[in-house]
Amino acid sequence: MRQLRINTHCRGPLLIVLALLLGGCVNATVDEMTYNEPVAGIGESSVVILGRRHAPDYDTEFDFIECIGDHIHSGDPSIEVINEIAFINQFYPWFEPRTAPMQPQAIDFLLQLPPVADRFAEMKLEYMIWIDGKTVDTESTGSMSCGIGPGVAGCFGFGTWGTESEYEATIWDFTDKVEVGKVSAVTSGQSYMPAVVVPIPIIAPVQGTACDSLGDQLLEYLSAHH
Amino acid sequence: MGRWLLLLCLALLYAGCAAKQVVVEGNFPKPLLDPLPITIGVIYPPAFAQHEFFDEAKGRADSDWLVKTGEAQVEFWDTLFAGMFEEVVHIQSAAALKDRGGEIDGVLIPNIAELQYTIPTHTNVKIYEIWMRYEFRLVDVSAVHEQEDGALTFNPDERLASWPITAYGKTPTAFLQTDEEAVNLAAVVALRDAGAHFITTFGSRPEVASWLDTIALRDQQASMSATTPEATLSSDSQDGAPDQ
Repeated sequence: MRQLRINTHCRGPLLIVLALLLGGCVNATVDEMTYNEPVAGIGESSVVILGRRHAPDYDTEFDFIECIGDHIHSGDPSIEVINEIAFINQFYPWFEPRTAPMQPQAIDFLLQLPPVADRFAEMKLEYMIWIDGKTVDTESTGSMSCGIGPGVAGCFGFGTWGTESEYEATIWDFTDKVEVGKVSAVTSGQSYMPAVVVPIPIIAPVQGTACDSLGDQLLEYLSAHH
Repeated sequence: MGRWLLLLCLALLYAGCAAKQVVVEGNFPKPLLDPLPITIGVIYPPAFAQHEFFDEAKGRADSDWLVKTGEAQVEFWDTLFAGMFEEVVHIQSAAALKDRGGEIDGVLIPNIAELQYTIPTHTNVKIYEIWMRYEFRLVDVSAVHEQEDGALTFNPDERLASWPITAYGKTPTAFLQTDEEAVNLAAVVALRDAGAHFITTFGSRPEVASWLDTIALRDQQASMSATTPEATLSSDSQDGAPDQ
């Protein structure tokens, strides 16, 4: 069992100026609690990363899931990460928001269906990772006005807004049908848009940082080389 | 230059309140399950196969919406039924019913009873939603009749089962995604949800379960009566005496 907490802060006037020049500040907090780490890696088995989409007010974004999969595969190309949409289509209708298993024990029910069991066996699936969370924009302030006239157009003003991401990854060991870990990442940041004739967006990579943070922790769990 | 800018502004203004039309399109996967050993007849009534939903603008800032789901409905349910039942017979006319009526175990007739949608301008929530309520009816072949105009109808008193299926699809707003694309995606998610709901509850309806049992019993009896003479002959030739 491991627990880890990382805090990244962007402080001080110099950093803020740099952030303004290069991109917004992002704070990230990552918590990890994992068990039964595959010390030798997962070999020829595969992993699927799926988003939770049963909440009434948000869906875990497909592109976020893809980002984590890419992060893991680029960190260790020997890990085969199955594409989420392809997986959901291949197993239709068993991984739709209405039918997706909420507990690892529910996989036993799916394995009672011969075509489902056969397809899982073909895939050599070892881990199923569920990601639940979202990225939202929070408070925004500032004002900007734009004008257009014959032969001239431009904007003037300043806008700023916050963004927050909160994601939790739950790792299921597919062979033993047990949960073997949780990793969570909470990130927040401020983006800016100064405009003197042309608006210049300085976007804080909040979701990207959450993807990297979760991806790093999952890679460390799954890979023998990290 | 000024004239072009004026035209551009007018075009943008017009685009903001023009009627929006969505013809729902999507790729629908075949369900992963062992098909039921049943020959099912399917009738898509015209109101289903050409289903569309029109919502008139409530204010000047709003737009009219026309959402055409009919083609996608037929494509989706065709794919689903083909994966769920051993054989599917589309009944489009009385002639088709006469030709293959003897093989058909039951006829499914879907109907869209209600469709509602919301977009962010309605709710101030950054989500596009579609909600549908279907009414599925299962009838015996003998209950299907041809009307004078050639359309197929059935006697409601002769139905084997009737049940509602609700479906919900949502999609969050996304960068570079138009309202129409988002509504299309929500409709595709709702269709998939309807299919998942249909598959996971089909056999659990008491009337449907009883119908499935009747078919299973009939098939069992048919296979027994088909195998019994052979078994007797084989037994006769091996033992020289009939089975006890």
